[in-house]
Amino acid sequence: MVNLKVSISKLKLKTPILLASGVLGSSYSTINRVIRETRIGAIVTKSFTWEPRVGYNTPIVAYTKAGIVNAVGLTNPGYRALKEILGNIVKNDVPIVVSIAASTSKEYAEIASFAEENGADAVELNLSCPHVKGHGLEIGQDPEYVGKIVHEVRSVLKIPVIVKLGLTDRIVDSALKAEKAGADAVSAINSIRSVVIDVYARKPILSNIYGGLSGPAIHPIAVRVVFDLYKNIEIPIIGIGGVTDWVDAVEFFLAGASAVAIASVIAIKGLKVIDEIIKGIEEYMDKEGFQKISELVGLAHGN
Amino acid sequence: MKMFLETLKMCKAEIVKVVKEAEGIKSLLLETSIEKPIPGQFVMVWVPGFEEIPISPSMYERNVLRLTVATVGETTRKIHSLKPGERLFIRGPYGRGFNLDEKGNFLLIAGGYGAAPIIYALHELRKKGKNVAYIIGARSKDKLLFVSEARKFNAEVYIATDDGSLGFKGSAVEVAEKLIAKYDNVLACGPERMLYKIMLKCLELGVKCQISIERYIKCGIGICGSCVLDPKGLRVCSDGPVFYAEELANTEFGKYYTYPPGIKKPIE
Ligand SMILES: Cc1cc2nc3c(=O)[nH]c(=O)nc-3n(C[C@H](O)[C@H](O)[C@H](O)COP(=O)(O)OP(=O)(O)OC[C@H]3O[C@@H](n4cnc5c(N)ncnc54)[C@H](O)[C@@H]3O)c2cc1C
Ligand SMILES: Cc1cc2nc3c(=O)[nH]c(=O)nc-3n(C[C@H](O)[C@H](O)[C@H](O)COP(=O)(O)O)c2cc1C
Ligand code: FES
Repeated sequence: MVNLKVSISKLKLKTPILLASGVLGSSYSTINRVIRETRIGAIVTKSFTWEPRVGYNTPIVAYTKAGIVNAVGLTNPGYRALKEILGNIVKNDVPIVVSIAASTSKEYAEIASFAEENGADAVELNLSCPHVKGHGLEIGQDPEYVGKIVHEVRSVLKIPVIVKLGLTDRIVDSALKAEKAGADAVSAINSIRSVVIDVYARKPILSNIYGGLSGPAIHPIAVRVVFDLYKNIEIPIIGIGGVTDWVDAVEFFLAGASAVAIASVIAIKGLKVIDEIIKGIEEYMDKEGFQKISELVGLAHGN
Repeated sequence: MKMFLETLKMCKAEIVKVVKEAEGIKSLLLETSIEKPIPGQFVMVWVPGFEEIPISPSMYERNVLRLTVATVGETTRKIHSLKPGERLFIRGPYGRGFNLDEKGNFLLIAGGYGAAPIIYALHELRKKGKNVAYIIGARSKDKLLFVSEARKFNAEVYIATDDGSLGFKGSAVEVAEKLIAKYDNVLACGPERMLYKIMLKCLELGVKCQISIERYIKCGIGICGSCVLDPKGLRVCSDGPVFYAEELANTEFGKYYTYPPGIKKPIE
């Protein structure tokens, strides 16, 4: 019998697939729907900021041949709304991870405490938003600052602290600093800063000009990052980027991820894709003779 | 997979004709290569330098798409200023349209620019040989939409104007309430207050009812969370915009409208 349960620090997931931050995670009603209709292992909320953010004007999404470029602009009702949102979620054993995008370590710590008080099972520090100034990648590419934020949040929290890093040259250094400061897991990667220009409009499509590329185009890059992180850190890794089917997910496990999160594929294939991916992993493990996800984790590193 | 991503592609659309339909409402005929929409589906329309907004096509014939647009704010005003030969950019079609394969006859109810998807549904229903009636409501007779077009397609037409300048003096709902029981299906689009009353009436009488509704649509593809109906978590852009009355019952529909980032405004 295949066992799909995984643990990320203190979090117990019934399946190794998480809903990544940003898709269907800004209101309690969509979160409840994902819990009701799928076998999702855990849900990461949309990133919450200190103040409410309306987000950018449309267009907020643009086409590329192997992915989506988005600049939603961290639309969220502000962290104080977490009380009501978390209060209305019917968890059914699905851990809720609250994602936070703040601009100072103090804000990160305060929002994290508020989330914990109101029932969050873990927090994910988004240190990698590619298109909102002062709320993302600038922070994640400074390993010292990453260490400082994690330390500050860790020291006020009991629940696990996950750090979400994006593609930068110093991602391994940032992950090492996060681990040293007490992070319980690392998520990688976020979408990658991009621009799309329409050749007939002769203008960038996104109102914000810059957006984040996600979807199949970024998958091999994300696998490389997870592969490198696995060689350097001990804490669990959540692989994110371009998963469209079970093969992509298994690839992440083999590279070193303990669990996998998905976002864009929901737009491409609908909610049902979650169970399709889980079933595919189950069948693969059954046919290939694996009983537990942990047997797959990092297997591609063997000699 | 490839198929879906393709629908995200911006398609240029050249304006071939502009028609004034009524006070503050114009139709644009556009030459574009997007796939044929199902009536009730919508497209995202981008005017570079302005916003990208959802519009439900009011007709499609061999690469020509018709959009019927009311001036509401900046982007729709800009659209009204465009001339033949100029371009717009379009992606889609998106969402779930009307199911026109339901059995029996159809009562179509439209208010304001809600007549856009309704008249398109009327074209397609008549092509299938279905029996169709069209109720159109407006403030006065110069604001009525698609009356002669509906007649041309041999639909029975009922008119309601608030000021009584043509047809029944009163609302489309009042006309509809007397007729609904005679039909197997109702399709409706218009102001939410009107749609809500129609929903309740159809639920009471057990008449199959499909309603096209509006929420704030930003991505159009189900990932940004801007168009969600609480508490069921329905996304108007991808689970709708057309819903059966049963799906809308016990949701915020008819009571309040959730704007991003979660601000609730009552429906007046
Ligand atoms: C599925 C759907 C189909 C539609 N079909 C038509 C149609 O066929 N013809 C037509 O004239 N109008 C249609 N609309 C409404 C149209 O999208 C809005 O009138 C338009 O977006 C207004 O833009 P603006 O910049 O002119 O106004 P703004 O000044 O930006 O906004 C004025 C008001 O318009 C509404 N609105 C603005 N942006 C959006 C948005 N992105 N999504 C939804 N509502 C918005 C809001 O209520 C807002 O308060 C449809 C809307 C939806 C959701
Ligand atoms: C529409 C959209 C919104 C997103 N919003 C957030 C966010 O608020 N916080 C965050 O950490 N990541 C956000 N992401 C990034 C995703 O969580 C994920 O890291 C990225 O999309 C790569 O995964 P994918 O290829 O499966 O989409 C968003 C992605 C998309 C497509
Ligand atoms: S408009 Fe983005 S989810 Fe519907």
